[in-house]
Parts: sequence; C-alpha cells; structure tokens
Amino acid sequence: MATTKPKSGAVAAARKKGPPWLWLGVAGIVVVLLAVVLIFSGGSDKKKNSTAAGVEQTRPVTVTGTALPELPQSGDDPAVGKEIPEAKGASFDGTPVDIRNDGRPKLILFVAHWCPHCQREIPLLAGYLKSHPLPAGVDLYTVSTAVNQPRGNYPPSAWLAEKGWKAPVLADSDDGKAATAFGLNAFPYFVAVDGSGKVVARTTGEITTDQFAALAAKTLGNR
Amino acid sequence: MSVDQVSLFLALLAVVAELATVTALGLWIGGRFSPALHRLGRQAAEAVAPQALALAATVATVCLAGSLYFSEVAHFPPCHLCWLQRFCMYPLVPILWIAAWRRAGRVAPFAAAVAFVGACISTYHVALEHHPEWESSVCDPKNPCTLIWVKRLGYLTIPTMALSGFALIITLLVVSGAARAHPSEPSDLDRSDAHGHH
Repeated sequence: MATTKPKSGAVAAARKKGPPWLWLGVAGIVVVLLAVVLIFSGGSDKKKNSTAAGVEQTRPVTVTGTALPELPQSGDDPAVGKEIPEAKGASFDGTPVDIRNDGRPKLILFVAHWCPHCQREIPLLAGYLKSHPLPAGVDLYTVSTAVNQPRGNYPPSAWLAEKGWKAPVLADSDDGKAATAFGLNAFPYFVAVDGSGKVVARTTGEITTDQFAALAAKTLGNR
Repeated sequence: MSVDQVSLFLALLAVVAELATVTALGLWIGGRFSPALHRLGRQAAEAVAPQALALAATVATVCLAGSLYFSEVAHFPPCHLCWLQRFCMYPLVPILWIAAWRRAGRVAPFAAAVAFVGACISTYHVALEHHPEWESSVCDPKNPCTLIWVKRLGYLTIPTMALSGFALIITLLVVSGAARAHPSEPSDLDRSDAHGHH
C-alpha cells in the first residue's frame, strides 16, 4: 500500500496535464510540415506583373484626347455622346493595338484576370461569338488591365488564350492608363462606341449574351 | 521564406486541422455505434482534454499570425468579411491562453460560441468565392470579397484555412467542455494501476 499512493498520484498528475507526447507530437507535425515546404516548394516569389508565359503582361500605353468621366454607380452616364480618347499600345506579344476613332463602331471590353466575374464572362462571350459574330463593321477590342500576379489566375495572356478569346487585346500599362482614360469603375466593363467615335453606352458587371448583342447593336445606332 | 512557401505551410497546417476535426467527429459519431470506437474516442478525449484549452489557444495564435502575415507581409489587404473573421479569431487568443493558464474551463462554451460565429462567416466567405454573383455582378477593382488571393492544394483559400482553424478550435473546446461536464470514469490505465497493487 505504501507504494500505491505515490504511483496513483503520478497517474492523476499525468491525467491532469495530459500525456507528454501531446506537445511533442504537435511540434513534430510542425517540423515535418516545415521540412516538406522547404524541400518541395520554390524559395522565391515570382516577379510581379511583367513577364510570364514568355510575353509581357503589361505594356506602355499612350493616351491622347480627353478622358471619359468615371461611370457613375447610378443615374445618367455623363460620357454618353462624348468622344472616346485614343489608347495606343500593344498586345501581350507586342502586336500593336490602337483603340482610336477610326470611323468604325466598336465595343471595348475591359477585364481583369483575377476578377471572378470576368472569369465567367470571357468564356460565355467566347462561346457566343463562335456562333454569333458581331454585326458586320463592328469591332471588338479587349483591354487587359489591373494586372496583379498575387491576385490569381495569372497570367492574363494565358487565361485569355485558354478561353479561346480571339478579339485583339490591348495590354494596359502597370498604372492602368487605358482603364482610367475610359472611366472604368468596376469589372467587367463595357464601352459601346458608334462610328463617329462617340460613346453610346457603358456598363459594368456580368451581362448575358442577349445584352451583349444589344450593346453591339447600339454601336450601329439600333436602340 | 517566400510568400508561396508560407502560404503552403499554412495550408498544410489547415489540412492537419481538418484531419483532426474530421477524426474527432468520426470517433464521436462512430462511438455511438461501435463500443471499440467509443472506447478509443474516450481515450483520445481524455488524453487531449487537459491540454485542450492550450491547444485551442495555439490554433488561434497560428491563425492570428497567419492572417497578419498575409496582410502585413504578403500585402494581401483583408476584405470586410476577412475583418469580421478577425474580430472573432483575435479575441480568442488572449481569452484561450488566459483560460488555459488559469484552467478556467468554464470559458469554453463562450469561446466556442465566438468561434462558431467566425466559422459561419468563413463558410459564407468560402461560398462567396464559389458564387461571386451572391455579392454583386461586378468586381470592385480595389478589394472584392470574391477575390481569391491564395489557393493551395486545389481548395485551400484564406477563408477555407480560417474555417479549418475555427473548426478545430470548436472541436478542442467541445472536448474541454465535455471533460469538465462529465469527469471521466476511471480509465483502463487507472484500473490496471489499481489492480496491480491489490
């Protein structure tokens, strides 16, 4: 009996504190996970924004003309009837892309690679455009802007190519000159321009294919 | 360590948290049907219960450190849902450490309630990532809640990691609370200990 008491006390103490392997186990798990990370993952973060998939993801853009006011959240759009500015730049691969008043009606779509709504809109429109081309004489331009690698779905060049996007893409500058010039306030962002280079409508957010077709028709003066 | 490495490390910790939570849930449910699982679950709970508050405090601390790393070092600005989850997680750190230090198990139900609210917000945030149209049909160029900054192992985003943390904290607090509410019967260890001396 003399030896029972201390041993029972030790067991009680052990039960009060929990088994000694508990914290050793937690520490062991942490060490193993750290080792896994250090062994199996790269040591440095990728360079932001500039080059990926062998092409530039942002490029210098030259804007001339008067910038459009930012699209208001509600009410009449003050940009309707105003002439668009000109944005001169290039696509990801360096092909020149100029969005200018060339006498042709046009739709300009601004997208951000990380925006989940753009990620849904692009495949929707790409599929639609395969079987429903834009009306004759209407051009479609895309502006890839707000490029930010950590935000995911990077690079935009690979994303748009993967979704089968055929329209010419202007790679906006790091500071989003084209987006600012056209009054972007959210993504995705559409600007419909008539043959005289004036804005006929602007809208943001996901739109249906019917709304897209209606927007294209507006560029021809069909309301 | 790079941001990629830290996010992978935190993602792996989240996987461990999920495995621990699922195992505990499995033992609890399985224990209702299988005496062997019931016994195993009870032994596991008895082993963990004395340190459950400290373990929960550790989980909350890691979550706090992870969220601060993402916002202050990786420069991923928190959206408003991230902030709501922080409001739930951050107070748990001092509360649970003090409770663990003072062995104040009575705190467990209140801390679990806070963690439950955090878990609900995390769940909504995860759902929003899959259904961005719930928030809006447009992306705020600055910092939408639907924006996925980190996605590791195919599914672990920042709110998913937070949900894993909240779930493990709740599990540990339930273990702690259950041990307090139902002091264990003499364990097999005690019985063999006692029998060995009679």
